[in-house]
Amino acid sequence: MSLLEFIFPPGFLANGPVHTALIVGAGAAIVSAVVGVFTVLRGQSFAGHALADVSSAGGSAAFLLGINPLLGFLGVAALAAGGMEWADVRDARERDLVTGVMLGVGLGLTALLLYLDTLRGSTSGAAIAVLFGSMFTIPASIVPLALAVAGAALVAIGAIYRPLLLSSLSADLAQAQGAGVRRTGLVHALALALAVSLAAMTVGAILSTALLIGPAAAALRLADRPGRALAWAVLIGWAATWGGILLAYDSFYWTPGHGWPVSFFIVMLIFIAYLLAGLVGRWLTPRSLERPA
Amino acid sequence: MLRRSLIPAVALSLTTLVAGCASPVQGGRPIAIGIESQYADVISQIAGPYVEVRAIETNPNTDPHQFEASPAVARAIASASLVVENGLGYDPWAARMIAAEPSARRKVIDVQRLLGLPAIANPHVWYDPGTMPAVAAAVAAALSSLQPAQAAYFQANVRKFDASLVPWTEALAAFKRRYPRTPVAVTEPVADELLTAAGCSILTPHSLQIAIMNGVDPAPQDVAAENALLREHRVKVLVYNRQVTSALTDSFLELARRSGIPVVGVYETLPAGYDYQSWMQAELAALVRAVSRGVSTETLGRGAAHP
Repeated sequence: MSLLEFIFPPGFLANGPVHTALIVGAGAAIVSAVVGVFTVLRGQSFAGHALADVSSAGGSAAFLLGINPLLGFLGVAALAAGGMEWADVRDARERDLVTGVMLGVGLGLTALLLYLDTLRGSTSGAAIAVLFGSMFTIPASIVPLALAVAGAALVAIGAIYRPLLLSSLSADLAQAQGAGVRRTGLVHALALALAVSLAAMTVGAILSTALLIGPAAAALRLADRPGRALAWAVLIGWAATWGGILLAYDSFYWTPGHGWPVSFFIVMLIFIAYLLAGLVGRWLTPRSLERPA
Repeated sequence: MLRRSLIPAVALSLTTLVAGCASPVQGGRPIAIGIESQYADVISQIAGPYVEVRAIETNPNTDPHQFEASPAVARAIASASLVVENGLGYDPWAARMIAAEPSARRKVIDVQRLLGLPAIANPHVWYDPGTMPAVAAAVAAALSSLQPAQAAYFQANVRKFDASLVPWTEALAAFKRRYPRTPVAVTEPVADELLTAAGCSILTPHSLQIAIMNGVDPAPQDVAAENALLREHRVKVLVYNRQVTSALTDSFLELARRSGIPVVGVYETLPAGYDYQSWMQAELAALVRAVSRGVSTETLGRGAAHP
């Protein structure tokens, strides 16, 4: 067996479910990485996680109603993101409390909706798919919508790149300069909702934080300029996602007949990237964009 | 292992259970419970008017693997004189409830133990033609010890039951002779024992059937293999579990339709209007229609009890 065959086992590139996973996974990884950098800079990692958990209610509602799960994740995530920005709690302690309470409400609703699903039609594996992701069961018909969502999120971030960066690094300075802090905040929140729902489709609502925060956190350990941090985050998230899909495919041959969950590999690769970035970053740049704790 | 209860679900479809049925004997008749409706049906056929029979899992539109029992079910089991459970991880809550309410009087028939099956066996045992005759005999023995005066009546009903299965088993043998080793694809191992008895060869990877049954991520290799079976017409029929569906099983169904491969819908509990015999005959008739004429039977119409 050649090395190439060892890395890309026969059938990998011709496999329908793998194709869909590669496309949707790449979209989710890229958007999550870009949005994640701003989310980390703004100190809203917990809000990002809560948004994903709340969106699981939409995902499970979609299974119950038999509609496209991406639409379900998206609808609830957008509502929750809008609500979070609208509430505009400035005090960090207070914001964490409100976010935590809403996270509980969202997951509680998810529990109810998944239970109702067992009464009605018993969608096989709905709970696993919503919470931990089921990349190889994503229907190919979802690809155009997923790419449109990814494109919309990137366009939104691109349109407000400068003011968003300024307000993320220093909200007070942005305010003083007359930049529309609230508007950029709202656009960021909506882009966050798009990123989170894409990530929830791929690695599940609970693990989508890993895709959002992990690559961004690793990138901010490596880069001292925002542009470079974005590039690193995209590279790490994308590589971890495709690497995870490949490893999950390979794992079918490690334990015959039982592939390991793809979400596990993606999250582990991101974690390894984060650890390595810490080592490399300390040696590469003594100073980084990451805020001192 | 085989049960997927991530969600603490309570009782479903307890249409036959009402509050306040805790008295040990109601209307003077002992209560017998079939955890799955097909076992309740067999108990009824053996017991006749001498026992009040109830079924717990009756809804043919939901997944029995996800069933979690409620306090009402616990009360019913506590009051029962006979309980028939499937075992094999299919109804693990039933064994827990029986253990929680010990009673020297109550007879329990665990079908897995009755058949001497290993824990990893396919839990959908009632599709095996050998299962229900053994259950019927065990039910008659248990009822006879509860009501010795009716023992001859129960034995006669067992003979009647066994005789009523003959058209089905003969049709199975005829199918096996006429269409030997018919290649089939399935979504879950639900009717695998029936297909095996009919001499079919099930080409769907076993690991895919288990992944769908347990609701976990399937291996992409297996999904591609199943797609190839359907797209390349390497199977004569897709046997599709009506009670557990997902985007993945929908995609198999869609591909089968597009490729012109007939679909046979199968169930995990008695479909409306059927008894056990007419249900099994209807499934086999659907398989025959699919293989001989390429006609799909995606859902069984409202059935009638066997003559």
